[in-house]
Amino acid sequence: MKTILTTSALALIAPMALADEIRVLNWQGYGTDLDWAIAAFTEATGHTVVHDYFNSEQEMLTKLRTNPGAFDVVLINSAFTPQAQGEGLLAPIDAAKVPNLADIDPALATNQDLNPGGALYGVPWTWGLTSMAVSTVDFPDGPPNSLDVFWDPEFKGRVSIRDDALEAVQFAALASGRNINDIGIDDLDAIKAELTDLMPQIATFWSAETDWNQNMAAGQFAVATYWSGSAARSISEGLPVEFVVPVEGAIGWLDGLSIPASSTKQDAAHAFIDWMIDPEFYVRWETEGAPATSNTAAAAALPEDSFNRKVLGDPEVVARVQFMRPVADETREAYLALWQELKAAQ
Amino acid sequence: MTGAERLRALGHLAPAYLWLTLAVFLPLSAMAFFSLLTDVPFGTREWSFTFRNYADALTNPTYATLLWKSVRLAFWVTLWCLILGFPCAWVLARMLQGRTREALFLLVILPFWSNSLVRIFSWAIVLRGNGVLDQAAGSILPGVRLNLMFSESAIIIGLVHSYLPYVILTCYLSLQAIDETLIEAARSLGARWPRILWRLVLPLALPGLIAGAVLVFVPVVGSFMEPRLLGGRVGTTYGTLIEDQFIAVFNWPLGAALSFILLAVVLVILAAASPALRKAAA
Amino acid sequence: MIRQTLARAYLALILIFLYAPIIVMAVMSLNASQFYALPFEFSTRWYERLFTNREILSAAWRSVWIALVVATIATTLGTMAALALWRHDFPGKRILQTLLFPPIAIPWLITGTAMLIFFFGIGIGRGTPAVILGHVALALPYVIVTVTARTASFDRALDEAARSLGARPFTIARRVTLPHAAPGIVAGALFAFAVSFDQFVVSYFLAQPGDTTLPVLIYTAIRKGFTPEINAVSTIIIVVSMALMILAARYARFGGTK
Repeated sequence: MKTILTTSALALIAPMALADEIRVLNWQGYGTDLDWAIAAFTEATGHTVVHDYFNSEQEMLTKLRTNPGAFDVVLINSAFTPQAQGEGLLAPIDAAKVPNLADIDPALATNQDLNPGGALYGVPWTWGLTSMAVSTVDFPDGPPNSLDVFWDPEFKGRVSIRDDALEAVQFAALASGRNINDIGIDDLDAIKAELTDLMPQIATFWSAETDWNQNMAAGQFAVATYWSGSAARSISEGLPVEFVVPVEGAIGWLDGLSIPASSTKQDAAHAFIDWMIDPEFYVRWETEGAPATSNTAAAAALPEDSFNRKVLGDPEVVARVQFMRPVADETREAYLALWQELKAAQ
Repeated sequence: MTGAERLRALGHLAPAYLWLTLAVFLPLSAMAFFSLLTDVPFGTREWSFTFRNYADALTNPTYATLLWKSVRLAFWVTLWCLILGFPCAWVLARMLQGRTREALFLLVILPFWSNSLVRIFSWAIVLRGNGVLDQAAGSILPGVRLNLMFSESAIIIGLVHSYLPYVILTCYLSLQAIDETLIEAARSLGARWPRILWRLVLPLALPGLIAGAVLVFVPVVGSFMEPRLLGGRVGTTYGTLIEDQFIAVFNWPLGAALSFILLAVVLVILAAASPALRKAAA
Repeated sequence: MIRQTLARAYLALILIFLYAPIIVMAVMSLNASQFYALPFEFSTRWYERLFTNREILSAAWRSVWIALVVATIATTLGTMAALALWRHDFPGKRILQTLLFPPIAIPWLITGTAMLIFFFGIGIGRGTPAVILGHVALALPYVIVTVTARTASFDRALDEAARSLGARPFTIARRVTLPHAAPGIVAGALFAFAVSFDQFVVSYFLAQPGDTTLPVLIYTAIRKGFTPEINAVSTIIIVVSMALMILAARYARFGGTK
């Protein structure tokens, strides 16, 4: 009797001993916390997933710095990966534990920011553009194809950009034909002049999807900057907007999934990352509005008329994209000072 | 005070102030410590002592502009709250009785319990173009457009709405305690209403007015969420500066320094106002 | 009488002002558009979705009981402190009163971050006890200031007279001081509840990710785009509170006796 009980008890405990609870740190509502995705993962591997969120990249870094061992998977934008790795916060990715890495676009897999020091520290996951979206109500004959529309007096008081110093500076750099990652001191004066001219055009600065959507729906905006993934979501939910990549190009960003060095469940973490870049996950996520994938197999599996395929699948468009590179803390603070000065003068 | 009295007083004060010490004063001391550093002492970061944060905060013209803007905003919001709230408290305290009064007293507090963010977004729906006010105005006077959003007026409306109940309540508490016989005595002596109000009621209601003013002025100076959502382009405040040091960059020492400067300014304003108030109460 | 009519009209206007966004909030909870767009189209789908949204419901419930605990503790401690400040004069009293300002003057972002680091450093960490610790601290100044506003209008002479007549402190408290202060105490309790219930920043820093509160949920939902389900839960809360208040008004007298 005792033997049977012990054996069955062991049989129950054994799989549980192999099953971990992993903690994921990400933006809220950004793919990793979709109920069906987590359920599928738990069913396949036995590991459970718990989420913590951040509302800014600085917050993400703070959480990593002050909570060793608390997270197992963290989403880090490629512009921040070198900084995190430089502070010793990240563990290198073991390609053997992430089989789907083989299908990742080689250009993204070898991205220099995700490979600081020559080893992979962030698995390329999603990428997208910060570009412009226009209200189809204001542009019935088709959207404009240049960022100049932001400065067009006809739309005074109906323009919006995000309240973010770095994005504002890079946006102005893009509009004036500069390299967004290489802005010199003289350039900064010219950019300040551009932004000063832009200010009277602006109704408000949007800060998140909620106010962007509500203001667009209410007709407060005619044209505004926006993210490609968010635009996909808004359009799929019926908002009358159109996403445009103008001739000046767009700002590109690349998000990677990394594993903190202090994580004690790195095997499970690798498994979760593998699921996140799996085409099966991505294709379903894309139907709900998602940024572009870095997995070529997943991209190929998308339906012909999907947003990401239409907008971001065009190589001519992609050629106009300038991806964000890391920015030094001092530069960030300089941009912030400029931005605060502009806002204070209103 | 006798020994026993002193002990009793201590016993009554200690729990609240010990709690505040543990939860607020000690943490804030840590922040004050940070404000004197070049960088936060986490992990491998190098740090040293400096007054640079305070120097920067005090000499930067952008910061001064925004500090003034925030103080001005707080002043206007407080003034409107007092002007609108005091008569309301008067009506509640002295013109209504019994169940009606208590029911209305509670009704005034109820909006407090709605989430402030949802409230602000609701104000946006009321004030914006194609919003409630616009459509109402358009149906009465066709052709009239009303878009109050993204303006200082919108910020003041939103903040007054959030903080008005504080003033109504504190004034109510003071007014309701005024002895009816005092007023009757004054009237029987031939005093007219304006005089009674000015020389009798206001001084007695002063504690309520001051308490209300403080509960409005102090938080509004540091506010940034409502100004940003309702004011848009003109909605940047001193509070935004502080938030930026935590959200946009990793510069807690500067953020801490800015906050303590804010605290100092608030205390100075309150200290400057108090002799004037004490004179009025005498 | 003209004055009575004017007075009631004024009160009505103020109430309309106070309730305008509340009514809009409630109406929008029944609006079909998820982008809060007008024209209005009736729909109950947000309420239907709310009742299957475990996350919002548990966050709302957690906010309510935390606020109740906080209001109880803060009102008790705050009233004791306020009464002691009123009754006695002593060196250092001015300092104690000034110390009430930092919690309300310093932006909650700073206080919240400071609490986060400090609690982490001394081992309290995050979680519901930390949240309650933080909320009570933020609510205390409101209670003390409010009760003080009320006690400022009493005469200490009454208190002293009672004592000179030989009444014991506890009796004085029960039969003289507390009844006088009652409206202030109730107002303080209501403020404390509101401060805790609507408190976002401190909760954001101190709550465990799985056990979040309603304001935190609403704020973090901003990024993704929050839906009128939030209006639905807010409307339900207001309606329930109104019902409770009507009940309280029927059975309790706290308007204050003279």
